[in-house]
Amino acid sequence: MSERTAAPDRSTSPDWLDRLLAEDASAYARDYIDDAGFTAKVVAQLPAPPVLPAWRKPAVTALWAAAGLGLAFALPSAAVDVAREAFKLFAAKPFSLSEVLAVIALAGAGSWTTAIIAWKRGV
Amino acid sequence: MATPSLSDAQLIARCVVEDDRHAFAELVRRHQSAVRACLRKLTSGNAALADDLAQETFIQAWRNLKSFRQEARFSTWLYRIATNAWLMHARKRREELLGDRDADLVDEETETMPQSGEPAGDHAGASMRRLDLERAMAVLSDQERAAIVQCYHNDLSHEEAAFVLGCPVGTVKTHVLRAKQKLKTALAAWGPESIGDHS
Repeated sequence: MSERTAAPDRSTSPDWLDRLLAEDASAYARDYIDDAGFTAKVVAQLPAPPVLPAWRKPAVTALWAAAGLGLAFALPSAAVDVAREAFKLFAAKPFSLSEVLAVIALAGAGSWTTAIIAWKRGV
Repeated sequence: MATPSLSDAQLIARCVVEDDRHAFAELVRRHQSAVRACLRKLTSGNAALADDLAQETFIQAWRNLKSFRQEARFSTWLYRIATNAWLMHARKRREELLGDRDADLVDEETETMPQSGEPAGDHAGASMRRLDLERAMAVLSDQERAAIVQCYHNDLSHEEAAFVLGCPVGTVKTHVLRAKQKLKTALAAWGPESIGDHS
């Protein structure tokens, strides 16, 4: 600590420290630090961008095309089978209207709850 | 190419979506002075250490830009990363110094603290007061020093300082109060009279 000045009576000016801090802060705010190559150094140290192998994009496209073709061939017969089995199931055990409505309400509540949770989490 | 007319948010979007390094360079150019000055204040004027920590701060910012959700200003977010980098560095230094702490600390203080080079002219008094304040701040804990720098020098609100320091607002207020009490005690040798001369 400096011994240049005599100890003052602090009780006469309780906010002298606030003024001193404000004075220091104002001098601090005026001091602009010149870039002097700082930005270039930072940019040079950034991690290299991820480079994907050249074969990745055509390979992914080919896989999606194969999956699409497979589905296009399999779906028509599978859809007919599913419809047939569903018809048999419903014909064997008839449902009342209230049961059908309850299932629809439950499904609706479930999907709305999921949507609200996703919205709150910002997904 | 990034232009100075773009807002921080637009530049950040370019960095995140297009991996645009020119946009990030523009962000660094805009905020480097504030971040480096903040770190110089935290490191008691050690410019080399402050610049190293500032570089670390911007590299961490680049890595974590995707997680920046605009809940605070970009500059406040940078202060948060910078303060954390400084706190981690200070903690590591303390652990390293545990052995022969006293001798090393004395050496470091003489290296990093501004010396009493007396500037001539009108600004001499103000410079001396700033020098004394800088020396008095050595009595503060890391958290107290950070709270003073964020609230006074970076002119952040208590809420923003709480975000930067990662603690509740009440804790920030406590740090500031304690810091001011310690500073008042340390600076008791010269108070309102000498300050009043120049205010």
